[in-house]
Amino acid sequence: MADSQNAEAARYLALIPVEARGWKADGADQVFDRETIFEYIDGAGEVYRAFNMNILVSRRFKKAGQADVIVDLFDMGSSADAFGVFAHDLDGEKRSLGQECLYKAGLLQFWRGRFFASIFAESENPETEAVLADLGRTISAATGPDGPRPDLVDLIPEEFRGGQIRYFHDPQILNYHFYIASENVLGLGPEAAGVLATVGVKAEKRSYLLVRYKSETAAETARSGFVRGYLPETRTVETAGERTEGLLRLKDGRFAAAGRSGVFILVVFGAPTPAEAQTARDRSLAALARGGGAARTESVFGNGR
Amino acid sequence: MALKKFTRRDFLKVAAIAPVATAVGCCCTTPKAAPAVIPSGGTAKITSLARKSRVVLVRDAQAVGEGRKINTEVVRKMLDDAVTTLLGEKDPVAAWKQLVGPADIVGIKTNVWNYLPTGPELEQAIRSRIQDAGVPADKISVKDRDVLKDPIFQAATVLINVRPARVHYWSGMGGCIKNYIMFVPNPPAYHGDACADLAKIWSLPPVKDRTRLNILSMLTPQYHNIGPRGFSEQYLWPYGGLIVGRDVVAVDATGYSVIQAKRLQVFGEDKPLETSAHHIQLAETRHQLGKSNPDDIELVKLGWEDGRLI
Repeated sequence: MADSQNAEAARYLALIPVEARGWKADGADQVFDRETIFEYIDGAGEVYRAFNMNILVSRRFKKAGQADVIVDLFDMGSSADAFGVFAHDLDGEKRSLGQECLYKAGLLQFWRGRFFASIFAESENPETEAVLADLGRTISAATGPDGPRPDLVDLIPEEFRGGQIRYFHDPQILNYHFYIASENVLGLGPEAAGVLATVGVKAEKRSYLLVRYKSETAAETARSGFVRGYLPETRTVETAGERTEGLLRLKDGRFAAAGRSGVFILVVFGAPTPAEAQTARDRSLAALARGGGAARTESVFGNGR
Repeated sequence: MALKKFTRRDFLKVAAIAPVATAVGCCCTTPKAAPAVIPSGGTAKITSLARKSRVVLVRDAQAVGEGRKINTEVVRKMLDDAVTTLLGEKDPVAAWKQLVGPADIVGIKTNVWNYLPTGPELEQAIRSRIQDAGVPADKISVKDRDVLKDPIFQAATVLINVRPARVHYWSGMGGCIKNYIMFVPNPPAYHGDACADLAKIWSLPPVKDRTRLNILSMLTPQYHNIGPRGFSEQYLWPYGGLIVGRDVVAVDATGYSVIQAKRLQVFGEDKPLETSAHHIQLAETRHQLGKSNPDDIELVKLGWEDGRLI
């Protein structure tokens, strides 16, 4: 590890207390970067790499007669990516720590600024829950100030903002939450960023997908890749005897509508009628165009299918 | 028999809404006519392997005690029962002699993940039987992360594959197929699409055609993940089982069905894994490594029936 990374690691370790409620730091602290993360948490390290992790510092705590507690503090490089890794797992009870915080089954996770913190008790009981909260409060205070969520979140239409919002660069992260295809048909990667917003459950579930690319060329390449690769067995919807561009009937009988605006691609999934799918799509395209997403706007399925 | 055609999307849909029996890679759940113990016939080989892949699930209520303590003698007996049944022998040494011999060099590929390792009890039981079958002690190695540097593994003529079953944040399930990822110098290269192509590793020189037995420890499997760390004590349970077979895909498919059944029991719904374990089915359909379709697996169940789930 480079000297600069070692210095960073030292600074981050200083943000973690050495004692809380009788739990004391035990053993050597550990430091990992995006290459060595697999030595620590196996294949799941890919999640953090997918969000551009910079460095992870880890400290173990012990207390006689109690389960060990482990603090993992990630520098994700940006508040957008810290938000992204936090939003990858939204299961749990909300707690008032950091900018957003969740607790479940002995695991406390929060993000603040460029940092993502995971505080884990190897066995759960009221004492470990209390020490997790204490450690969380101390670390949250030390890792300020707050940082902005990804700007793409602000482009999500109103009707999708009440549900779960995910942020991603990597196709596998998107597939984890909303399966698109085994191939990277949307051309996702480090130079693209997307949000997925989901509202409703089961038959009422609807999703909104927005991806921003580095250039219109990249967006257009992704558009054609998506056309070819997503649900090739679906059919475009015909209304009044004519094929309607950018409108798909999904296998569950509902509808999706897709479009491109400049460097953006957007897709609305799960509308109950073609009209609702189109309305949601068109409204979003218009908002993107007004918001500087570039003047040229067209349906993803420009040639019909 | 034609392979079941199963798209990736079908896999997810079935796993989400269908009974466990129809999830990809699930073992047989309908009662089989096969007896609990296969009668042996001296050195007669099991011919059914030519059509179906035989997998033995053995369980014992005494295998796991308080605090996840493993009963060494019970596990030894379970291993013996499974291997003799699998290979149609009465005597465990005779069974192991079908797998290894005095001229062999044997690598036991274990798993040392600190939260749920294979454990010395099962490792030693395997090593003992290999020695009983005539392999010298200095020709046996038990390793996980250092296999590529280990001289025994480098020279191995036989591999025995053993690890515990657990859900896995990136591959859906950590089973015997995934256990060989340490045989490649760059494991992340196989992480794409939820580790879809793990089976490719099995065609590489360090391991190709060397594996004689796969043992998926179901002593205390993990059925649910919380967060990327991937471990929580509360999501283990003392199933007390071993799944043993020559076909690694069939072994993992059977283990997967047990985990799915447990999730159904606990969550009250067929809750999909956080990440799809489609590498198991793809091991068959894309890589022809073995059989994941329940119609192609002959599952023999031994021992403790209560809580078997499948």
